[in-house]
Amino acid sequence: MSAIIVSGLVSGSLYALMASGLSLVWGALGVFNFAHGVLLMMAAYAAWWVSSSSGLGAGLAAGVVAAVVFSALAGALLYWVLVRPWLGKPDAELSVIMTTIAGAIFLENLVLEVFGGHYKELDQVVTGTVMLAGTTVQAQDLMAIFLAPALLGGVAALLTRSRTGLAVRAIAQNRDAARLLGINIERIYLVTFAVSAVLAGIAGITIAGLFSISPAMGNDPLLRAFVVVVFGGLGSLIGTIAGAYVIGMVEAVSSYYIGIYWTPVVLFLVLIAVLTVRPTGLMGRAP
Amino acid sequence: MIRPASGVGLLVLIAAALAAPQVFSGSVAQNLAILSMLYAIVASNWDLTLGYAGIFNFAHVAFFGIGCYVAAISTLHFGVPVWWDLVLAVVVVALMSGITAVLALRLRGIYVALVTFALTQLCVALINSQKEIAGGPIGLVGVPDLSIGGFAFGNDQRWYFYSAELLLIASTVTMRWLATSDFGISLVALRDFEDYAVSRGIPPTRQRVLAIVASGVFTSLAGALYAHYLGVASPDVFSFSLSTLLLSMVLVGGAATTYGPIVAAIVLTLMAEKLAGIGNIRFMVIAALIVLTLRFLPGGAWSLVSPLRLRLAAHQAGPSESDQPSTGPHPR
Repeated sequence: MSAIIVSGLVSGSLYALMASGLSLVWGALGVFNFAHGVLLMMAAYAAWWVSSSSGLGAGLAAGVVAAVVFSALAGALLYWVLVRPWLGKPDAELSVIMTTIAGAIFLENLVLEVFGGHYKELDQVVTGTVMLAGTTVQAQDLMAIFLAPALLGGVAALLTRSRTGLAVRAIAQNRDAARLLGINIERIYLVTFAVSAVLAGIAGITIAGLFSISPAMGNDPLLRAFVVVVFGGLGSLIGTIAGAYVIGMVEAVSSYYIGIYWTPVVLFLVLIAVLTVRPTGLMGRAP
Repeated sequence: MIRPASGVGLLVLIAAALAAPQVFSGSVAQNLAILSMLYAIVASNWDLTLGYAGIFNFAHVAFFGIGCYVAAISTLHFGVPVWWDLVLAVVVVALMSGITAVLALRLRGIYVALVTFALTQLCVALINSQKEIAGGPIGLVGVPDLSIGGFAFGNDQRWYFYSAELLLIASTVTMRWLATSDFGISLVALRDFEDYAVSRGIPPTRQRVLAIVASGVFTSLAGALYAHYLGVASPDVFSFSLSTLLLSMVLVGGAATTYGPIVAAIVLTLMAEKLAGIGNIRFMVIAALIVLTLRFLPGGAWSLVSPLRLRLAAHQAGPSESDQPSTGPHPR
């Protein structure tokens, strides 16, 4: 029983990190980033390349720091190339879906060309196991469980306390009024994208320690994040985080009792059920 | 009804269709031609929902894949005679697409994209998990050939060539007819001025559900033909790379043009084949092509061919509409 809860909490934490980035970007910019999974994957590769002896061999700490910095830059670059030119155009929503899908394909194949298709291993940030309520838990799992709420709490605090955070929320509520008040929208968009990329990057580093690194490693988490944001509602950080943990739990319970093969079906049915009752998710706002 | 010019055009088309397999006589060339025609059908039908109706329907590739798998599973496991499995594919996809559309169209914009995307991935997950019936990750092999009176099409590739041609022509005529009919115009009206269209009595959900179901008919037939032609049904038909290739056909060719995606399908299939030597880099080329097209030619390549389309595209995508709404095609 406690094994199921731990597994649900770990998945929920990782999904929360992934999905909150999507939700933030949607709230502020009104676009959806299909290349979010690729940001996760590239952060894992950056951490591996800097830390591993096959790369720079600078150690894990340097790898993690480098991956976080890299994520912020990658997010900003992605915004600059694939999002910014279409913002404000009539078909921005659809165009950005297309450009970020294309970007994801481009980067996934680029990584495949550069690093090859072999799975890579990244050392765990924390090693060993911990006994918890009669179950053996990997320390890395435990780290994920505590890291995600801490980070997301930090993001939530920034959104409500800092000037930049307030600007993000102001833009989400009324773009034109925010611009009139002298908020530098361009800069806020860039920062939002960078923060969202860092959250994905940290999820990537954690996943890399738990599983392995491959060019396609971002696809599954992205798909789960889709389910989470639709379930919890895009644009609502609280809804997204709550949705992430619910989906993580549903997945853990269904994998245990119904079987791993039917879990995608269960998730999809839950999703359909929620959408039939609340078409904008549990706490989402109308697009 | 047929104007003399289009009558002549029809004769030229039939002559060209009959001559084509003789001109492309090599089996490699014929293979490429068959595949590009099947992709052209999928892309131009996707254009009905993505382009004309403006619905973010990412389950379209699943319609193709389900058509492919229905043909394979029904003939291999249930002994359904060939040809009847094509009918079955259309029926199954019509039901699936109808249910998907009714559920997804309760949502708006991006949510439709996410749910239809998730549905496509659900198909892959189901196929991978159901090894006995769907063949798992390897797929199903030994899908029987189409045959007429004991003559199997596999003995002479030209028969698949003719089948694909026939399907492409039927599909294109249907798509053009739909796009220019009142139905097609109502879809465009709903896309561009939903509130006004609804106020004039167009039922939005019904029209869009019908559009999605209609877009699945020829797509599922193309999927079934694909399974018979290649003799296999593999989960690759749902893959992200095939989705992207088909998406690039719609966008690079020009959304809401029908002909643009068809031409782009043929060009891009040939290009992907020519670039096979550079491996995965070809996907990077295609991805870059999508971004560049959206950036510099939002109306797609077809907008260069048709000056009228160019004006329409400039009208839709240009900044003038948002700055001066009064210049738009406003209701009076």
